[in-house]
Amino acid sequence: MSDRTRVNAWRVLILVLMLGFWEGLTRPAVTKSVSRVVYFVDPFFISRPSAIWSRFWHLNSGAVRVPLWHLLLSTLESTLLGFAVGVGSGFVAGLVLGRNARLAAVLHPYIVAFNSLPRIALVPLVTMIFGFGLVAKVVLAWLIVFFIVFFNTFQGARGVDPDLIHAARFLGASERQVMRTVIVPSALAWTFASLTPSVSFALIGVVIGEFIGGESGGGIGYLIIASLGSLNAADMMVALLVLGLTGIVLALGIHQVEARLLRWRPEYQARG
Amino acid sequence: MGPSGCGKSTVLNLIAGLVEPTRGAIRLDGRSLTGIPAHVGYVFQKDTVFPWRTVSQNVELGLAYRGVPRAERERRVREAIRLVGLEGFEDAFPATLSGGMRQRVALVRTLIVEPEILLMDEPFGALDTHTKLRLQAQLLALWTGKRQTVVFVTHDLAEAITLADRVIVLTSRPGRVKHVHAVKLPRPRDVIRIRETDEYAHEFSALWHVLGEEFAKAEAAEETGGAA
Repeated sequence: MSDRTRVNAWRVLILVLMLGFWEGLTRPAVTKSVSRVVYFVDPFFISRPSAIWSRFWHLNSGAVRVPLWHLLLSTLESTLLGFAVGVGSGFVAGLVLGRNARLAAVLHPYIVAFNSLPRIALVPLVTMIFGFGLVAKVVLAWLIVFFIVFFNTFQGARGVDPDLIHAARFLGASERQVMRTVIVPSALAWTFASLTPSVSFALIGVVIGEFIGGESGGGIGYLIIASLGSLNAADMMVALLVLGLTGIVLALGIHQVEARLLRWRPEYQARG
Repeated sequence: MGPSGCGKSTVLNLIAGLVEPTRGAIRLDGRSLTGIPAHVGYVFQKDTVFPWRTVSQNVELGLAYRGVPRAERERRVREAIRLVGLEGFEDAFPATLSGGMRQRVALVRTLIVEPEILLMDEPFGALDTHTKLRLQAQLLALWTGKRQTVVFVTHDLAEAITLADRVIVLTSRPGRVKHVHAVKLPRPRDVIRIRETDEYAHEFSALWHVLGEEFAKAEAAEETGGAA
C-alpha cells in the first residue's frame, strides 16, 4: 500500500468512526417509559447523520419553497461578485498607492483606521444603505476582500526590485512599458498570493450579510438563521456542511488559478 | 579592477546615468551625459532576469520595447538563443535554470538590441570556474562580430587579462586611477589556452604586483579603520 492510499484510508476510517459514533450516541439509549426517552447525546442539539441526510434531500426537493441548491447559488453569486470587485479595486488601489509614496503617506492613517474597524461592525450600516439583497452581501464581501488584496498589492508594488526597473530602462523601456512589464507583474505576484484567503473571507462576508438579510437576502446563511428560528438542528447541520464544502471547493479552485498564474515561481514548480 | 569598495561599480553607474556626478561630467563622444543614455547596455552583477517571463520572453524584451514587429522579433530571439546555447530552454522560466544559464539570458537580452557601449558589473562573479570560463568564451565570441566598447568590472585578474585590451586599476578608498595597463595578448583569444602562454604569465605577474599593493592597503585600512 502506498503512503498516499494509507493516508487516505485513515481519513476515511476517521470519517466513518465519527459518523458512526454520532449516529450511535444520538439513538435512544434506554427507553424507561413511553413519556421519557433517554439519549447519550440529545439529537435535539446536534441532530444525527441519518436525519441530516434525509433533510438534505428534503430541502432539495420541491416540498420547500426555496430549494437548497437555490440558496447555494445565491451565496455563490454574492461571494464571487464580492471577490471579483474586491480583487479588482484592491489591486488598482494598491498599485496606485504603492507607486505614489506621497499619496500613500497622506492616506496612511485613514487606511489604518478603517482597517482596524472590525468589518462586522459595519454590517448594520451596510444594511441601512443597501438593504437586504444581493448588493448588501456583495458590499460586505468587498469590504473584507478589498483590504486583503490592497495591502498585498501595495506591498508588492512598493517593493519592486529597483534593479529590475533599471534593467528594463537600459533595454529601452518607456515609463509606461516599465509599468506594464515590471511593476504590474511584480505587484500581481503578491496580489495572486492573496487570492486564496480572499475567497474564503468573501464567503464570510456574504454569510454575515445573509444572517441579517432574511428571506429576501436568501443564501445558506439565511437557512442557518431560519433553522435557529425553528430550532431545527438537522437543517442547520445541512447548511453548515454545504457551506463547509463550498468553502473548500472555492479555495481549491482559486488555488488552482493561483498556481497557474504563478507557475514561474520556484515554489509552484514541483512538476506539472 | 580594484579592491572592494573602491568605486568600480560607481564608475559604471556614473556612465550609465544611474548616479549623478558630484563634480565634473561624463562625456560620451564629446557630449555630456544626463540620465540613462540610449545605446548603452548594462549587465548587472545581480540577477535581473524577469522571473515571470520565459527565456525567450526575456530575450525579446528590448526588441518589444522598441516596437520591432513580431516576426522579426521571433527570428532574432531564436538566433540569439542559439548563439548562447540555450536551445530547448526557450519556454523555461528562470527559476528552473542554473545561475550560469540565467546570466547568459541576461547577456543576450542586452546584446540583442546591439548597444554601442556595454557596461558589465562583475557579471560572472557568482559563477563557478567552469561556467565562468564558458561564459567568457561566449562573450568573446559574441563581441568579435561587433567589437563594441565594453567596460567590464571584475575582481578576477585572470578574467581581466583574458578579456581586456586595457586594464584600469583603481586605488583603494578614495578610488583614483592608479594604473592603466595595456594587455598585449593577440586576438582571437582562447580562454583556456591563453593561460598556458608565457605572455599571459607575464601580464599576470605585472598586474598582480600593482593590484597586490592596493589589496594590501585596503585590508590594512579595514583592520585599523573599522570604526571609521
